[in-house]
Amino acid sequence: MLRMEDVTVAIAGVQVLRSVSLGLTSGRTTILIGRNGAGKTTTLRAIMGLLPVEAGAVHLGEQEIGTTPAYQRAAQGIGYAPEDRRLVPEFTVEDNILLPALALSLPAPERARRLDEVYALLPQLLTMRTRPGGGVSGGQGKMVALGRALMVARTALLLDEPFQGLAPALALDYARTLGELRRGRPDLAILITESTPALLDAIADETLQIERGAIN
Amino acid sequence: MLDTLIPLAVDGLASAALIFFVAVGLTLVFSVLRVLNVAHGSFYAIGAYVAASIGLWIASAGLNPWLSFPALVFSAAIVAALFGPLVERCLMRWTYGKSEAIQILVTFGLFLILEDLQRIVFGVRSLAEDTPMQLLGSTQIGDVVYLNYQLLLIGLAVIVVVGLRIMLTKTRIGRLVTAVVADREMAQSIGINTNRVFILSFTLGVFLAALGGALATPTAGAAPGLGAETMVLAFAVAAIGGLGQIEGAALAAIIVGLARVLAIYFAPSLDAVAPYIVMLVVLLVRPYGLFGQAATRRI
Ligand SMILES: Nc1ncnc2c1ncn2[C@@H]1O[C@H](COP(=O)(O)OP(=O)(O)OP(=O)(O)O)[C@@H](O)[C@H]1O
Ligand SMILES: [Mg+2]
Repeated sequence: MLRMEDVTVAIAGVQVLRSVSLGLTSGRTTILIGRNGAGKTTTLRAIMGLLPVEAGAVHLGEQEIGTTPAYQRAAQGIGYAPEDRRLVPEFTVEDNILLPALALSLPAPERARRLDEVYALLPQLLTMRTRPGGGVSGGQGKMVALGRALMVARTALLLDEPFQGLAPALALDYARTLGELRRGRPDLAILITESTPALLDAIADETLQIERGAIN
Repeated sequence: MLDTLIPLAVDGLASAALIFFVAVGLTLVFSVLRVLNVAHGSFYAIGAYVAASIGLWIASAGLNPWLSFPALVFSAAIVAALFGPLVERCLMRWTYGKSEAIQILVTFGLFLILEDLQRIVFGVRSLAEDTPMQLLGSTQIGDVVYLNYQLLLIGLAVIVVVGLRIMLTKTRIGRLVTAVVADREMAQSIGINTNRVFILSFTLGVFLAALGGALATPTAGAAPGLGAETMVLAFAVAAIGGLGQIEGAALAAIIVGLARVLAIYFAPSLDAVAPYIVMLVVLLVRPYGLFGQAATRRI
């Protein structure tokens, strides 16, 4: 579904990804494991189009999207939840979740359908939907960021260290949610990064290791 | 006493309105692009020259003099359409994410180019065209005479403050702008075409500066050196209000406008430095300006 082929990325003149190749399949969850600084975030940002790719190719289905701007990749259904939540503090939680619908000019029925889907998967969000984005805790913010990414995701979902900073109970909850998502959304190819794999064993279809910018 | 203070206040508020248009554009562009555009005052100057030229042409062509009102707004729109997208795409975008030193150098270069352009097109003469002010006349209340044009300026500034706030919180494009201000990369990854937001915001900033200049011509005309003078004043106002703060810029413009007329009346030698004395005092007490916050970026 989504493939990276021999992708090389440099940030500020330093090679951060070296010839990275990976393939994601609809309905399957891939885990990308690596230490701090290994290149996990960079891999996701390269797929999303937030960093220029120096060499190699990124394919979504049959289409090469290596030079497509990030906002168009979002329109093609690639959803991304960054590791730091990045909510708009002035907007309510619900408006943060709805922001992609506004950006992509989704028609009202489609917008409502996707929002219902998000609330069905993450009912915790319903209780905080009117709170300002700047006024939720770190863990709650991660849920909001997941909800927002799900509004975008039609083909692929990229989650950057979703468990980082979550209390154990919340992390278990979150892992269950991701399992549900994998079963309930066969259209989505899911890629999750982690530094500690334990929680994801149950839902991983495939596990990749990244080390110093290269996948073994 | 009141008979002198109230007309002074109206004078102060009218000049506050003009400087507000420039400062709020500067602050808007800074929030979205994260570039302090040193050339911003030049758009005020060009707006003034274009408006004065069109005004003089309307008069010489014998057209209906009331056309000179829409012509003021039309002048600002021409300047914005001519320079906004062009300057943003060809120049500003190369400075995004670069160091502040580079941003200041590049926009200072733009300032020099625009100053020369202004000199080539309009020459070094001053232009005066006050038809709109004459047409509106004045109102006498008690012993005090008010220029209606000044009241119009104050009203327009209020409309711009309220209009910008409504645009940012209620309209689709305004909410997308707010998201870009909050986090550019997040905005892109949820589907916002940030380039379009940059072009639009910059063009709106140019329009507001040019509108200030155009609206100033009936009372002040257009003269060489206007760009630099306005830039420094607008920067002082934006800094007092807190960079990125719309309501802050409005309040700061009022304070600076009133400080100036008070200085003119009570201590004429301080007229030119009054805004900077205010800036110094405010920034000593609140380094990020009246409405500014160090950590969060707001608009
Ligand atoms: N903006 C940047 N400027 C310079 N180097 C960077 C930048 N961003 C990342 N890097 C470097 O790229 C490498 C990979 O970074 P990346 O953020 O992808 O790692 P990560 O696996 O996500 O790490 P973490 O677990 O800490 O989030 C690191 O060595 C980092 O120092
Ligand atoms: Mg990371």
